[in-house]
Amino acid sequence: MIEAWQSQIKAAAAKGDKLAIVGSSASALPAVSTIDTRQHSGIVEYEPNELVIVVRCGTPLATVEKTMADAGQMLAFEPPYFGAESTIGGVVATGLSGPRRPYAGSVRDFVLGTKIIDGKGDHLSFGGKVMKNVAGFDVSRLITGSMGTLGVITEIAFKCLPLPKAQQTRVFDLNAADAIDKMNRWYGQAHPVTATTWVGGRLYVRLAGAAPAVKTAVEKLGGEALENDAAWWADWREQKHAFFAGETPLHRMSCKSTAPPLDDAEQAIDWGGAQRWIRAPLHDGAKARYWAKQFGGFATTQSAGSARQFSTEGLDPALLDVHAKIKASFDPYSVFPGLEKSPLLQAGEG
Amino acid sequence: MNTLTFDRPSEQAVNSTVDALKRSYGDRAITTHAIREQHSHGEGMQDAGMPDVVVFPETNEEVASVVKLCNQARIPVIAFGTGTSLEGHLKALYGGVCIDMSRMTKVLETNTEDLDCRVQAGVTREQLNADIRHTGLFFPIDPGANASIGGMSATRASGTNAVRYGTMRENILGLTVVTPDGRIIRTGTRARKSSAGYDLTRLYIGSEGTLGIITEIQLKLYGVPERISAAVCQFDELPNAVNTVITAMQMGIPMARIELLDSVQMDACIKYSKLEGFAAKPTLFMEFHGTDVYVAEQIEQMKSITADYGGSDYRFADKQEERTKLWKARHDAYWAGMSYTPGKQAFATDSCVPISRLAECIAAAKVEVDNSGLVCMIVGHVGDGNFHVQITFDPNDKDERARADKVAERIAHIAIKMGGTCTGEHGIGIHKLDALKVEHGEAVDVMRTIKKALDPNNIMNPGKTIPMQ
Repeated sequence: MIEAWQSQIKAAAAKGDKLAIVGSSASALPAVSTIDTRQHSGIVEYEPNELVIVVRCGTPLATVEKTMADAGQMLAFEPPYFGAESTIGGVVATGLSGPRRPYAGSVRDFVLGTKIIDGKGDHLSFGGKVMKNVAGFDVSRLITGSMGTLGVITEIAFKCLPLPKAQQTRVFDLNAADAIDKMNRWYGQAHPVTATTWVGGRLYVRLAGAAPAVKTAVEKLGGEALENDAAWWADWREQKHAFFAGETPLHRMSCKSTAPPLDDAEQAIDWGGAQRWIRAPLHDGAKARYWAKQFGGFATTQSAGSARQFSTEGLDPALLDVHAKIKASFDPYSVFPGLEKSPLLQAGEG
Repeated sequence: MNTLTFDRPSEQAVNSTVDALKRSYGDRAITTHAIREQHSHGEGMQDAGMPDVVVFPETNEEVASVVKLCNQARIPVIAFGTGTSLEGHLKALYGGVCIDMSRMTKVLETNTEDLDCRVQAGVTREQLNADIRHTGLFFPIDPGANASIGGMSATRASGTNAVRYGTMRENILGLTVVTPDGRIIRTGTRARKSSAGYDLTRLYIGSEGTLGIITEIQLKLYGVPERISAAVCQFDELPNAVNTVITAMQMGIPMARIELLDSVQMDACIKYSKLEGFAAKPTLFMEFHGTDVYVAEQIEQMKSITADYGGSDYRFADKQEERTKLWKARHDAYWAGMSYTPGKQAFATDSCVPISRLAECIAAAKVEVDNSGLVCMIVGHVGDGNFHVQITFDPNDKDERARADKVAERIAHIAIKMGGTCTGEHGIGIHKLDALKVEHGEAVDVMRTIKKALDPNNIMNPGKTIPMQ
């Protein structure tokens, strides 16, 4: 498969065509032809006692997680699926992490190495299978979240962590401000908190780890137990919770975790306060962006059914220039879509 | 062909740049032999190459203006933190301007609620921890030396706490960087999720001053744990100590630190740091962080593992002074090794392998060491699969030096063959350029393309990190 893709990329480069990389969902980007990552699937290597799993890009996320769970391990960044067919390559390309993110780390913190085919058709290997590696530039992390703009990710090595032995979720009736305060206070303490979400006037705190540690934390923090909590967190992660339903656009804001709640907004708060969701009309997007910037972050608007795209919104010209140079280093013939729309970028490329 | 080139700039270009810097910076632009010599090397091997001038800027704008001047004149720029790198990162191969960051030592903000801070690049890790002690927070990354945060970022440093808290890579939220054309950019945000675009923060971390100069760093901080307990356990056989670590990692015991010292290293440390009541045997230094209950439980779990591998009873160090003494002894391992072998020089390997191959890799390294006839010590952050063999040799004996180089090369290759890396934390610098090619093959070409794209005149620390051809 790799050779076929290499030829396809080389041919596109020669003709000046665009190629889109797709996994389980169609790419929204304009392209003449596509590379379907699902054609390159399977687990290359998994020895649970190595704490490393190496997988091909088209492997379903469900297969990866099931294989690891059978050996008592997990991808600790808790990736969302957004569809049963979700592929592991898509997880890395989009860089999406779930509720455990502030407590365990994000996708890139668990990517130890990647193989990619760049825009010249070369198949290259970056990083490796070890926990620490400072040999050369950290290209694996640059690739993570690059949304297919730099190349086709063909293989990924992930760090694995053991599944927690015990888990319990406690629920607290609190207003938003008090919930933010609690989330931040508990973050700085040694409790085995692995997720926090405030929605509908209630703060949900997931505790997971060794049984005695969870038990002690339950006694210290209080709250009520949540029945069937695994299903609740899965719903939240997949945006199937009632909060995400409805026609009003959803604005996602990433900000410093102690930012105060927004007044008068229908909102939810998670990631220990570092991620906020606002339901508001589309024209409030600018307000959300302004608010997020004030609190050290940024905002994006998620309209129903739209695919996530690579965005360089809000970056200043010097940063855009660096982006253009990186894009050109990997994809000199612009075979992969992305980064060609901004006039600033074109200026930077010249 | 995709290559990097750099020729030593003309004397005239150097002189006019030095004159311009002296005019702008007065006594903050120094050309005395003593200062240039001091800035010509890191710790460890004496592979010095002197810069033509050392400048001491105080602001981002000053750094940018120095870099801009150098870019126009095609003069190399080498950033200098505290001079503790180990792989020749600071050697001015082509002369040029050394930018010493030691006047940029402000902790710009500490956000105790948000558990983060922003510092200038010249702040050292010990200065930062002293500065934030009253807040009940700490910054965990601890390479042996009291390095600057800028240098630690540029080399993607780690230390004894990495097994629990990660390395610089996981603990930096954003950077201010001066680009090779003298622009000031800010990557990342206060938010813990990176913003739009590529993760440039991660690209600059570990780029060893070859893509830009890091001038400010936004760091994550951590609450000082309710309970910290350190313990020492000794073993009769090295493999038993290593297998203890592997089992602990595979069980997911959240150790804060777990460090291995072989019998030779332990002997050196006992003598140098005056450690009492220990034998010169393979030893594990451990530290547990958490609540009282959590720490007690981790210790019980660890005890059952060490018992299976014939480990000794634990010697605990719960008081701050005792712990400080213990970890100082560990951090001084290199100097203990030097004092153990008077008249010798030494350098350290830096292999990192998948945890399941660690016992095999250390055993293979030990065979190389024994065959070499040289005095070597093994010490390591084994919880990450990373260990160092400190190889000592007589600098006046060419044969010893050659054998030392051979051992280091073979150990690096053994690690790479086991799916590992030649460098887990010290970096490439000038010493591991060949090993990087063995490890990454054609991928080095893309790294070189990135270097050329971002630094077209190749003025940023030329000749380091990425092989020229």
